Amino acid sequence: MMTETSVQVDFAGLRLKNPVMTASGTSGYSDELGDFMDVNALGGFVTKSISIRPRRGNPTPRVVETDAGMLNTIGLANVGLDRFVAEKIPTLEAMAEAGVAIFVNIAGTTIEDYVAVTERLARERAIAGFELNISCPNVKKGGISFGTDPVQVEEITSAVKEVTHGKVLIVKLTPTVTDIRVTAQAAVEGGADALSLVNTFTAMVIDIETRRPLLADRTGGLSGPAIKPIAVYLVNRVYNGVTKGTDVPILGMGGIRTASDAIEFMMAGASAVAVGTASFVDPACAAAVIEGIRVFCDRQHITDVTELIGSLE
Amino acid sequence: MPEAIKRRGDYEARVTHNRQLGKLCYRLGLEFSGDAARLFATFQPGQFVQLEVTSLALPPADKIPAHLQDQAWRHVMLRRPFSLCSVSATPTTTTIDIIYYLFGPATLRMITLEPGHRLRVLGPLGNSFAMPENKQTALLVAGGVGAPPIQHLATELAARDAVSQIVLFAGSKTIDDLAIERQDTPQGVSLPDLEAPNIAVHIATDDGSAGHHGFVTDCLVEWLQEHGEGPTADLVLYGCGPEPMLRVLAAIASRNKIDCQVSLERYMGCGMELCQSCVVEIRTPQQTETIYKLCCLAGPVFDAREVVFEEAH
Repeated sequence: MMTETSVQVDFAGLRLKNPVMTASGTSGYSDELGDFMDVNALGGFVTKSISIRPRRGNPTPRVVETDAGMLNTIGLANVGLDRFVAEKIPTLEAMAEAGVAIFVNIAGTTIEDYVAVTERLARERAIAGFELNISCPNVKKGGISFGTDPVQVEEITSAVKEVTHGKVLIVKLTPTVTDIRVTAQAAVEGGADALSLVNTFTAMVIDIETRRPLLADRTGGLSGPAIKPIAVYLVNRVYNGVTKGTDVPILGMGGIRTASDAIEFMMAGASAVAVGTASFVDPACAAAVIEGIRVFCDRQHITDVTELIGSLE
Repeated sequence: MPEAIKRRGDYEARVTHNRQLGKLCYRLGLEFSGDAARLFATFQPGQFVQLEVTSLALPPADKIPAHLQDQAWRHVMLRRPFSLCSVSATPTTTTIDIIYYLFGPATLRMITLEPGHRLRVLGPLGNSFAMPENKQTALLVAGGVGAPPIQHLATELAARDAVSQIVLFAGSKTIDDLAIERQDTPQGVSLPDLEAPNIAVHIATDDGSAGHHGFVTDCLVEWLQEHGEGPTADLVLYGCGPEPMLRVLAAIASRNKIDCQVSLERYMGCGMELCQSCVVEIRTPQQTETIYKLCCLAGPVFDAREVVFEEAH
């Protein structure tokens, strides 16, 4: 008798219908992907970064393609908290009712900013949790400057944790550190319910004709397939060194384009995965990854996808 | 009653032709059937598509032109945006035509497309040129690879009898680069796609290889001088081309009090408002500050008065 494969996973106390989410900043605020896929099929949705006030972001060029990847320096451009609540929450409510776990990515320049945005959104029923962005490489203040210092990582995590009203707090870490286990540990100490690994890698492309950086902001964050093997390694490093045996799951991301990419992340220790840059190229990519995971499990006679998590030998 | 047509989608197209118009210039035909045919038949002048190019192979080494020998080996990941020069529909199929320059690693791969090949096409994207209301004469200015949407607009204006006279100024570095299909005759260059009783064409080339020797905007200024004291409220100006040309166009429009729409180009990660990279700086009505609007969503066509044009690098 055939048994139906279960692709449900537990994620920090939430039951996700499958382990696939969108990565912040690559799939809009709510249902922008809706023209191309059924957004209600997602395990989770992580919004674009929201800051307390609207941000216009950096000048152009803001993106440049590289081999098997791209650099971006958007600078956390967003509509701000008030417009997000007024315009986007209703759509997110419909997605939440369809069983999609909604996470709002929170950005700020001071701890007070992060706390204020979280506190305001913690009242929203549609929202399952938050992803604390302390790893954006493209803003002068806040972002990565918090995320590279373990003392500040712990401080900001515990400050935000106090106002989440029991909703899930994910801390998104930068890979641009010497030992990511140190900042991961600090986030866990601060009360993180989950970790997002990894944000983009700070990088540069030079226009050799003008001898200037191609991006207006000089540097940007590298994403796409180019970073996938490094991201898989870093997930495995944190899994083995920090989260294994604890109840803190990892949301793995970095260059996921196919189901096999996603499965690698899960084997390395991720409980769930996020599709990011690939959505720019194939806006139905996340749906294809969900289906591909199911096909893999069937082929391998795996009845429960959670068997894959941390199964690396 | 047929179901409502989707706003946009990602569809497979069949290549109908891919022929060389000049040393660097190609014309690609893409045919859609089914729902996609119905959707793409609604395409308006100025809207664009994103072509999937990652799956295309490099041409054989001897087909790689000297100026791309170095760049050819770069991988391509992101889709590439193209506007259309024409749309034609039968009861069951719609064919769109794109004119592209052999410009970098993606367009180099596109020259390998042959009739019958399949390609994924995302569209229709962006806004379109607004049709003139109560205007006598439409002045259209095309520069370089900006010509296709201007051709599309000219034929649409002529077909709709939207104005009594269409004057199209087309410029390129050299006549071989003209991104409009042409016939070289003993009497000079003719543009068969633009042969209509109410379309007059003026050509300009930087090197004097055909038409006016100099910038295309010189021809426009000359035309306006010849037009003399006539009321400029009867005129409307449309442009697509390099940003320095559009800046000159905007200045001419402002000086002569002519309504002017320009189609802009920005580095685009996705073309569907996900990546937030393609911002255009826009003056607010109060002119006290500027805001950013996405070229892929609010554009690519903007009122020339609103645009803060980018400085040449």
